[in-house]
Amino acid sequence: MSLLFKGRKSQNERAKKSLFAAGYFFVLNIFRQGVHSLGEMWRTPMASMMTIAVLGLSLTLPATLYLVVKNVQQVSSGFEEAAEISLFVKESMSEQETQTLVKRLALYPEVDNVSFISKQNALIEFKQVSGFGQALEYLDSNPLPDVVIVTPTSRHRQPNAAQALLKKLEAEREVDFGKLDIAWLERLNALLSLLKESVITIALLLLTSVTLIIGNTIRLSIMDKKEEIQVMKLVGATNTFIHAPFLWTGIWYGIVGGLFAFICVALMMWWLGSAVSEVAGVYQTSFNLIGLSITEFGALVLLATSLGFIGSYLSVNRYIKEIEPDKV
Amino acid sequence: MINFQQVSKTYPGGHRALEKVNFHVKPGELAFLTGHSGAGKSTLLKLISLMERPSAGHVFINGVDLNAVKSRQIPYVRRDIGIIFQNHRLLERHTIFDNVALPLIIEGTHHKQIEKRVHGALDKVGLLDKVKCHPSTLSGGEQQRVGIARAIVNSPPLLLADEPTGNLDPELSMDILRLFEEFNNHGTTVLIATHDLGLISRMKYRSLTLKDGRMSQDPLAEATL
Repeated sequence: MSLLFKGRKSQNERAKKSLFAAGYFFVLNIFRQGVHSLGEMWRTPMASMMTIAVLGLSLTLPATLYLVVKNVQQVSSGFEEAAEISLFVKESMSEQETQTLVKRLALYPEVDNVSFISKQNALIEFKQVSGFGQALEYLDSNPLPDVVIVTPTSRHRQPNAAQALLKKLEAEREVDFGKLDIAWLERLNALLSLLKESVITIALLLLTSVTLIIGNTIRLSIMDKKEEIQVMKLVGATNTFIHAPFLWTGIWYGIVGGLFAFICVALMMWWLGSAVSEVAGVYQTSFNLIGLSITEFGALVLLATSLGFIGSYLSVNRYIKEIEPDKV
Repeated sequence: MINFQQVSKTYPGGHRALEKVNFHVKPGELAFLTGHSGAGKSTLLKLISLMERPSAGHVFINGVDLNAVKSRQIPYVRRDIGIIFQNHRLLERHTIFDNVALPLIIEGTHHKQIEKRVHGALDKVGLLDKVKCHPSTLSGGEQQRVGIARAIVNSPPLLLADEPTGNLDPELSMDILRLFEEFNNHGTTVLIATHDLGLISRMKYRSLTLKDGRMSQDPLAEATL
């Protein structure tokens, strides 16, 4: 409805659209503007491609570092699974008491598996492995204790949980002391944690710069279309109407930049894959690099799209309201 | 339709463009606004189209005080006013169709209706065969007619024109003025700012004269009113 002329209707209002139809045309118009802004990008291919490349490459670095952390975690999780607790049984305990201990430990909810190595078996094994077989013959008695090897469940293999379980097991009457060789695992986890923090810091810096780059590109586009914006305002365009194509441009930059980053990451993983397999082969093991999952791919594109939107929104909000028609 | 009451406009820096201007243009009237360069014609049009706000006084359009219009309402006010510019102000990157369709697209008009209205407006200004052309391929007179088509495409009740014949030869100028006459005959109020006194004398419409920011006596006003 007109503000100055009561009863004057726009062409739109004259068409007597229902609320549903009005909503439908509103959404349709938004999508039309989206398609139109895609066409605008197509008309300036070099500038658009360069912005998309900057965005894509800036996202490639944190995405790759993320994958490095993910793959190292995959390797270390294999080590964590090997974490075992060795419980040394008191010398004074009889064989029956030790067997009772083994049975009792097996009932612990935190324990996955329990195995028993008698002192006799331990000595035989030591003789074979150590190379001191002859020397050990001269000992009066077997100095080795009975040992119970406890494998925690997967939920209790993390350093903190495993330490807590060790304390609990050491409290058993029959146990002299326990041992959990976990220091190296803690060091590895600390390094992984440091790597994760570094990835987050680098990602934040790069994402901020991406937002600013998109914001600046949109600002240049706004300045380039200053005259058009003035004319639009003079013929009655609202700020929302003028904002839409620029916001769409930011969104398109984000979507295409996100896809570009994904392709770069996938190419890098493919390139590194054969080298990693070769290294694994030297250690007589196999290792396959893990790439981005569908969810992670979606998250990457969504993140890039959000950055595109935020960058363009900041520019649009700041600069379009400053452009006012100055001459008739 | 247009009512100025004691309107003054002083720009930052102290330049006084208008001083206590009073005049009234009736609905359905065609009037000229004349005056030498710097007399305040453009400022007066800017006040009507809300590009500027008065330093003192009130501007009424159809009884609505423009001082009471909030910033966010300005686009909706401008949709009721067709503005024609001396330098056409067409969008160079867009076709003639897109240029003329702009006010309708802004209103959210259905595309079939847009096509019908744009073709109608271009037919009225005699440029139906140029729909797919770009502004740079047209002559000055043709560009001005595209500007007029854009101004009238959504049938605004008020048309403002700033030096619409400024760069045109006398014959083309008369063609353009005849177009304004035609719109006026259909009930549109038209205010044309021009310094072409020869043209004004040929048309015999009411003429409002600005001199150094003040409204001076209009010899045709009494006869017209």
